[in-house]
Amino acid sequence: MKVKATASPYLLWMALFIIIPLGLVAYFSVTDRLGNFSLENYRASLAYSPVIFNSIWLAIIATVICLILAYPLAYNFSRKSANHQRTLILLIMLPMWMNFLLRTYAWMTLLENNGLINRFFGLFGLGPFEMINTSGAVVLGMVYNYLPFMILPLYSVMTKIDHSLIEAAQDLGCNSIQVLKNVIIPLSMPGVTTGVTMVFVPAVSTFVISRMLGGGSNMLIGDLIEMQFLGNAYNPNLGSALSMVLMVIILICMALTNMFEGVEEKEGMLL
Amino acid sequence: MHKNTLISLKNISVEFDGEKILNGINLDINDKEFVTLLGPSGCGKTTTLRIIGGFIDPDQGDVFFDGVRLNGVPPYKRHINTVFQRYALFPHLNVYENIEFGLKINKKLPESERKALVKEMLALVNLKGFELRKVTQLSGGQQQRVAIARALVNHPRVLLLDEPLGALDLKLRKEMQIELKRIQQRLNITFIYVTHDQEEALTMSDRVIVMKDGNILQIGSPTDIYNEPVNAFVADFIGESNILDGIMHEDYLVEFAGKKLECVDFGFAKKEAVDVVIRPEDWKISASEQGQFSAIVDSIIFKGVHWEIIAKHDDLSFMIHTTQKYEVGTSIGMSVVPEDIHIMHKMPPEGDSKQEEEA
Repeated sequence: MKVKATASPYLLWMALFIIIPLGLVAYFSVTDRLGNFSLENYRASLAYSPVIFNSIWLAIIATVICLILAYPLAYNFSRKSANHQRTLILLIMLPMWMNFLLRTYAWMTLLENNGLINRFFGLFGLGPFEMINTSGAVVLGMVYNYLPFMILPLYSVMTKIDHSLIEAAQDLGCNSIQVLKNVIIPLSMPGVTTGVTMVFVPAVSTFVISRMLGGGSNMLIGDLIEMQFLGNAYNPNLGSALSMVLMVIILICMALTNMFEGVEEKEGMLL
Repeated sequence: MHKNTLISLKNISVEFDGEKILNGINLDINDKEFVTLLGPSGCGKTTTLRIIGGFIDPDQGDVFFDGVRLNGVPPYKRHINTVFQRYALFPHLNVYENIEFGLKINKKLPESERKALVKEMLALVNLKGFELRKVTQLSGGQQQRVAIARALVNHPRVLLLDEPLGALDLKLRKEMQIELKRIQQRLNITFIYVTHDQEEALTMSDRVIVMKDGNILQIGSPTDIYNEPVNAFVADFIGESNILDGIMHEDYLVEFAGKKLECVDFGFAKKEAVDVVIRPEDWKISASEQGQFSAIVDSIIFKGVHWEIIAKHDDLSFMIHTTQKYEVGTSIGMSVVPEDIHIMHKMPPEGDSKQEEEA
């Protein structure tokens, strides 16, 4: 395949900032501190499998909640008039204009033991409830931060579903639920897989949300990796091995969602 | 109500954003007939069809189906199926699955019976062997056939067709016209067809309903509509016409283009100003001095079957269809027999009704 000359800046960019760093990570993961070949890092990673499973589990819960929340929302948006659609999408995007850390800090002040929510319940003599530093708080933070990434791809696929297809389904005997099941869901599958990927991948690798809302008790794989590079447990070789493991997990998950999409037709995307 | 009446629209009115789309129309459609709603864009024909299909509820008026009031009944509960303008085939299903769709939803038919019905439909629309094709890989004409099969497989009592041939080329359109008529006669069900193409309407229909600005202007057989249009609009819309100002002096005597001529119409007021409609093919051309009118050939265009001549007589232009060629500038005589002079009341002056594109 002939590569066009105009593509060279991108190729250079990719080589410098993607291929080479990836190669370095892979190299570090199979060497010890002295630079000798060793699989010790991967063996050490195994010890952290509860953390890895916890990460995957929380990310799956957050993704499923996002999907359940976003799907009806996106469908409703897509059936509104063009003006309404613009406003609603703007409202969805609005929180994203604020810094990610700030948004998560805001949740801290809400969820704390003497935070706003508990003070509110205190007025009625209830609580305080233990909300911060639970896995529930971590999932909440994930859902809150990544929900727009689920809504947007779903919405963009759903606006492309021709209204006459819905009418045709009604004409052929579908009530609203059957229209949803037989037409809208199959045709929106490309949006579902994109949304799932866009929520699951950052959720499984996050460390900010788990650190701020999960406290010490809810360590995720992201926290673990960060500690190896920046924290007290400084061990870049182990960190690299963990990164490789995380990457493999993400690749497997993406392959699974793509397989799922492959069952449905990809034509929907083209419409 | 007529004995054979299947669908009855009573005083139907519809408004969109304050604009009247239908002005209290009344229409009876008989069982097993091929009816065409004909009119220019924005005349309300598609809206009428969508009311019958259940996609729009009328603001006023009632829809009856077999004597039962149908207002508010959702589309999926009506024994009516639709062939949509752009086919609206499901892109995620193949040809077989598209046609099977309605059967799977509605009835608890066993797989084998569904299969037999789909096969039968594929044969009916000449698409045997296309079962596993993707609908996105079909040509326009083939998609059209799938859409027809998908609707007909449910054995509806009425099939609605919304300008289904609009996207096809001329030759395919003509083939499909004949095919649709064949299918309708074979299945012996009611077809309600919407089009703006008068030739299509005349070719296929048992009855044609001419609409304009949300009103029904005329209902009749194709020959009635063509030969006895109720006004100049219908005459002009159904094929080409010469429409001239005339004065009806008395019964059977009309004056137009400076000549008093015998005609076959009567019952007009004395000296009533009327529209005189003469079809281009009804003019007979003769030597200049032998015609009722003399005129000069202004232009001549070859149309295949005939030549189309525009001839000038004083300030008036006449369109004539003839099989003979005349050079531009030739003096000719033009005559018309009384039976071919159609006299019509002047249309009421155009109100503020606008012609807008249909949604």
